Amino acid sequence: MNRALVAFAISVLSGSLSAQESPTTAKAVQVRIIQGPKIELAKEHLTIINWTTNNPGGSPVHYGIVHYGRDPKSLIETAKSPIRLNPDHSSTVFRVRLDNLEPQTTYYYTVDSMEATGKSDGVKSSVNHFTTP
Amino acid sequence: MDRRMLAIVAVVVVCVLALLMALAKRKVSPRSGPALSDSVYNPYPPGILPPDLNSEIDRVQREMEVIEGRALARWHGLQPPILKGQPPVLMNVGTEATETLGELMLFDKNISPNRNEACASCHMPYVGFGGPIPSVNLTIIAFPGSVHTRAGKRTPQRHPYSPFFPVLQYNQVQGLFFGGNFFDSRATGYLLRIPDAEQAQGPPVDTQEMGLPDTACIAFRLSQAVYRPLFEEVWGKGSFEINFPHETEQICATPGGAAVFGGSTTPIPLSAADRTRANTVYDRWAQSIDAYEQSAQVSAFSSKFDAFLAGKYKLTPEEMAGFKLFDGKGNCNSCHLDGRGTTLKSNQTDTSSAAMVNPLFTCFGSANEGLPLNPRDSFYYQTTPDAYGFTANPYGFGYRDLGLGTFLRSGFGSGPNPNMSWKQYAPTVDGQMQVSSARDVAMTPPQCPSTDAPGPYFQKGFFHNGYIKSLKQLVHFYNTRDKYAYPVTSGHCPKGTTEKVDCWPMPEVRNNIDMTSGNLGLTDKEENDIVSFLQTLSDGFTRPYLNSDTFTGACMRGGSAATQGNELLIPTPTLPPCAAVVCGVAPVPNPSIP
Repeated sequence: MNRALVAFAISVLSGSLSAQESPTTAKAVQVRIIQGPKIELAKEHLTIINWTTNNPGGSPVHYGIVHYGRDPKSLIETAKSPIRLNPDHSSTVFRVRLDNLEPQTTYYYTVDSMEATGKSDGVKSSVNHFTTP
Repeated sequence: MDRRMLAIVAVVVVCVLALLMALAKRKVSPRSGPALSDSVYNPYPPGILPPDLNSEIDRVQREMEVIEGRALARWHGLQPPILKGQPPVLMNVGTEATETLGELMLFDKNISPNRNEACASCHMPYVGFGGPIPSVNLTIIAFPGSVHTRAGKRTPQRHPYSPFFPVLQYNQVQGLFFGGNFFDSRATGYLLRIPDAEQAQGPPVDTQEMGLPDTACIAFRLSQAVYRPLFEEVWGKGSFEINFPHETEQICATPGGAAVFGGSTTPIPLSAADRTRANTVYDRWAQSIDAYEQSAQVSAFSSKFDAFLAGKYKLTPEEMAGFKLFDGKGNCNSCHLDGRGTTLKSNQTDTSSAAMVNPLFTCFGSANEGLPLNPRDSFYYQTTPDAYGFTANPYGFGYRDLGLGTFLRSGFGSGPNPNMSWKQYAPTVDGQMQVSSARDVAMTPPQCPSTDAPGPYFQKGFFHNGYIKSLKQLVHFYNTRDKYAYPVTSGHCPKGTTEKVDCWPMPEVRNNIDMTSGNLGLTDKEENDIVSFLQTLSDGFTRPYLNSDTFTGACMRGGSAATQGNELLIPTPTLPPCAAVVCGVAPVPNPSIP
């Protein structure tokens, strides 16, 4: 039995199995939006915006962030939702919930994402808009 | 406090206890605690408690006695352990002796005031050590304690593989919590360094579970156990050299939280040295149970999936399709790690060649999946003092289960947080519950081979609040939670919709909802395939799962997995604001919780 196998056996028998924690994967050189952002769901009480990027890597939990407001030059509101990266998926879908928006109102927004530590992925979309039902 | 003062206090305690017991005799059965009849305290409106509760509790007790008898026989068949070497080790049989001791403890109903509740009362092997009473899983979801009119607030968490969870830590690099035990991770492992062991120290003194009033009661009852010689062989002859005062039996026969204790958690008057010895026994209790739970009897790695990894089982087409969906379109293994690489190509097929040994199907993390508030949860109804002057939940429906967030705040319904530097993160984890291992989620008794209707099936409750009643519903929830979201509470879905089919009530806690799933786009068949895959994770395929043959209750039949349990939905009452004791503790939830 080689040393590596012995070390692994010890790790298993000791119950540590630390390799099964979500790994911190290598950060992508650049995080790019591949698809979206778009309105996935627009109900009276709930709006969901989603977009897809290449897998950003880094912290296993990321936050999708939506900066929004009624004035395209003043996106003063922020909504963010966590997602968990699948480290071996080539792309990542971010989905963000916006609860209880005003009905029949046009909102402008941009999207971004960050690691759970708060470190930005450095991606920004152009300003888009939607109107609530 | 000097000895004379101690003696005075002891006399007062005895007198008060005697008075209380004399009063209680009129309405409390001395052996089994308050029975569930109209003549005693019962805070539940009609229709909340399952009608077969008493007979089902009795059934589980009989089953536990069978398993305890088997464990005793195994102990008597063991060679006496012999200490050898330096440091001394119980050579040859030390492992089996320790694990058997833990098993004897887990099934010992004497570890409760009324000698009627063991750990196993809520964790039986034939359901992967989950809740063993189908009607409870279908209704109040939390299991009755030693005082049967008390119950907790969450479903019993399956404990196979829980010994593998690391000590709770905040990973600064990842900005995340990992590890611990319990849905809210409050068994951190900070002291024993084994969260699973610290978990085993919770229920025996939980007021709504086994309910002993003092941790020293565990040492006291163990000192009377038939398996005491095994304890002393494993942990040392002098383990029970504790001078218990004569009133100890009466104190330990009185449920925790009783008004007579005046809020004390150490009502047994022990010297400092004896208190330390009793604490040591309680640590040994915890370590022994951890040994059993980590043993091959419990964390068995004996499923179809393990056989598949070893090349000794070929997954059926449905199971394989479910496996690919689990890793791919369903994205289940982003949290329930299965050790496979999933570099997906356009057809979303697992292209990796190596599997991790013994994948645990958890990331040791926590998540808020956005479950609706379950108005059948027994906790909401325990709002008035019981026969012992104890009130489990004075806030009724003002209670919200913030999970890990409440624990970090040392808040109501959780336990004290031993690390003050964690408290600041509470708003980032409000609503989060531990990601349980998916292993054994589908385990049922052999005669009821499914969790899902039409069966024959064994009724389980899934997630922390048991809102979900079948694996089909579980997968459908992940798949469509957002697609069929409605701004209603459970029991109030709009006309023309069916709850859990095309209507999901709003989440109990809106903060930090995990958006990895919620609109996966799975077809009906794809949902069923994932259920088929989950069924491959049940232990007992490559070798028998010990004591899985002990279920003597009835299977359920008929109906549809999609609407399983819907006949017992009740309308959620108008919810009062979240109680300040939950949502008003700094750092407060952000945004605020209604």
